[in-house]
Amino acid sequence: MKRIVLKLDYCIGCRSCEAACRSRFKVEARIRHGEATTDALLPQGCRHCDEPLCAAACPFQVIVKNPDTGVVRKSDFHCVGCRSCALACPFGVIPPSLVRHMSQKCTLCSDRLDGPRCVQTCPTGALQFIEEEEQAGKKAGAGFAVRSVHGRRLQ
Amino acid sequence: MREPTRTTCPFCLNGCGSGVEYNGVEHKMHYFVDAEVNKGRLCPRGNSANIVIDHRERLCRPLLDGRDTTWPEAETLVRGWLSEVKPEELAIVYSRGRDAEDVRRLHGLAAELNTPNLACGHIEPENGFNYRLEGVADATLADIESAKTMLLAGDVFNTSPVASWRMLDARYRDRKNRVVVVDSVRTRQAGFAHVFIQVRPGTEPFALLSLAALIDPAVAPGVDVGRFAELAGASRQQLEAAAAILGSDTPGFVGSAMHSGRVRYPALHSLASQLVARAGAKPFTGFRETELPFGPMRFSDLRKAMGEGRIRMLFWTGGLFPFSYSELLPETVGVEHVVSTAIFRPDPTVRGLVLPMTAELERASVGRSYWGSIERSPLASPLDGTRPFSRVLGWFGQAEGRGVLSSTAVAATEVLEMAERAAGLAHPEGEWLLVGEKKAIGLRGFHDPEDEVAVCRADAVRIGVTGRNYLRVKSLTAEREFRVRITHAVPAGVLMVGTNVHSNRCLFPLVEDELTGEFTVAPTVVAVEKTERVPVANGENLSVWT
Repeated sequence: MKRIVLKLDYCIGCRSCEAACRSRFKVEARIRHGEATTDALLPQGCRHCDEPLCAAACPFQVIVKNPDTGVVRKSDFHCVGCRSCALACPFGVIPPSLVRHMSQKCTLCSDRLDGPRCVQTCPTGALQFIEEEEQAGKKAGAGFAVRSVHGRRLQ
Repeated sequence: MREPTRTTCPFCLNGCGSGVEYNGVEHKMHYFVDAEVNKGRLCPRGNSANIVIDHRERLCRPLLDGRDTTWPEAETLVRGWLSEVKPEELAIVYSRGRDAEDVRRLHGLAAELNTPNLACGHIEPENGFNYRLEGVADATLADIESAKTMLLAGDVFNTSPVASWRMLDARYRDRKNRVVVVDSVRTRQAGFAHVFIQVRPGTEPFALLSLAALIDPAVAPGVDVGRFAELAGASRQQLEAAAAILGSDTPGFVGSAMHSGRVRYPALHSLASQLVARAGAKPFTGFRETELPFGPMRFSDLRKAMGEGRIRMLFWTGGLFPFSYSELLPETVGVEHVVSTAIFRPDPTVRGLVLPMTAELERASVGRSYWGSIERSPLASPLDGTRPFSRVLGWFGQAEGRGVLSSTAVAATEVLEMAERAAGLAHPEGEWLLVGEKKAIGLRGFHDPEDEVAVCRADAVRIGVTGRNYLRVKSLTAEREFRVRITHAVPAGVLMVGTNVHSNRCLFPLVEDELTGEFTVAPTVVAVEKTERVPVANGENLSVWT
């Protein structure tokens, strides 16, 4: 399955990902920014977990994981807006605010052949849509340069 | 679904290829990965193109004193007013949203009507890039890609996120590549810097001039590095480290950007950046949203004339008035007839005639980007009820374009004279200094409301607030309540607010740049007090696009 991954070193916190998502879904961005530190503003999107707690928490089984694509989807038609998914999500990426009495959930832009809009629009290429295996093969921390805002690293 | 329409994004001068698809109901963004400049990438502004086209607050009927009127009535009114006023009582102002062709025609029109009152009302500090230092080359995309050393003065990444992609690629291409950032605020861009020179708000030019003098004393003769560094609050050690990086023979480039509320002397800021480029023999780019030449009259002089009642009719065309510059509305009280153009429905209190225009995205135009000339084709059909600018211009006259004033060429010696004058002027001093940050397009609630004020931790302790409290910020011109955001981006004694929304901009009084006579939006002294307001439970502050 393909996943959205973030190349930390390239994120400039411009929120283009959020803007692209908002411009498509009009009412609410399904990928949101979160401040990891006061300097790092990183996009937080749905991880499409192997065992999604949001799906387990949904009292009406509105959220379902597609076993073929791995995408965790929510049916807007049947959602009653109980916020159980938002409370259950361990990553806090489902916003608790309701739009049209529904919670908002990333679908990896299943309506689009070219992949998620947030990835396509990322100005620096920090967001990438890659196969899980491709990501697994990468060594943790490889190509990662420590960003310093103190201006002390003069080599 | 029809084929996506392709154009060049009009929201800044990076010249990104973008487009929209129309499915018969709404427009959706399309990303062209074969676009040379951006490879399908778009910034928050670029991503909002479809929202502008479909926005429910688009103005599609002329307004007279806040009430709907018709196009024929509007035309009769304007023609009647024109016959009433003398040429010297008519003022024409242009601002963002007018392209080079429009400006050329306005210059021709002013000549035909024989009015001397033609001014550029684009009072964003980025207009300071109209001052160009002689002998400095414009950077190309290839220059940025091959750069091994970079100087970024101001928040370049925030101003032009798509251009930052190439800079980051260059920065990470080789471990030896170096980035120097000069800013008064510890921006996210500063996180990529090898040397970050944090200066006092509004004093960037002094640090930049010190840097130029350290790189090549012949370029900036007579600059007292110690005095200028002290004025800017920058350490000499850091300046020398930056000078060693930028003074090397390796290829590089200098980029500069300016945000409303952050820069005190826009022209000097731009020229000082260019002087560093010249000292280090690097090409230069001034990152900005638009390029508008100054008119024959200064806008500050026109404002005075309006205040003194010498102007009876004002024609303001462009996207900024009466939205971004609502603080200018009191000046128009003495003007009998105000005609302005707008894309969105203005506040009902706006007086005079407001004419609905086709948006930039709905018309073809030619222009210039940082990297060359560009042609824009319309992304969508004009909204019913709107009219192209050329038709409205026809009411005033049929003048042909007569050329546009070019940017102002300045010699290095003049820059140093300006710097000396600026150094002798009083700088704002107070317990609290408010600076601005322009995060993304402030498009009618598209992005979060800018209701936070950034405060450093030490100041938060001093005032006795946490991230759940509110602060009342009071300037000379306005006061507003903000939720506190504790950050180390700002130094002690400095507060920062977003300057996209108009209510925040009103906190910054317009000041005249003593060096050029142009208006600018500079850091300002404010008073702060903790309020008793507390946020209600369950996400009062969550933004919802409505």
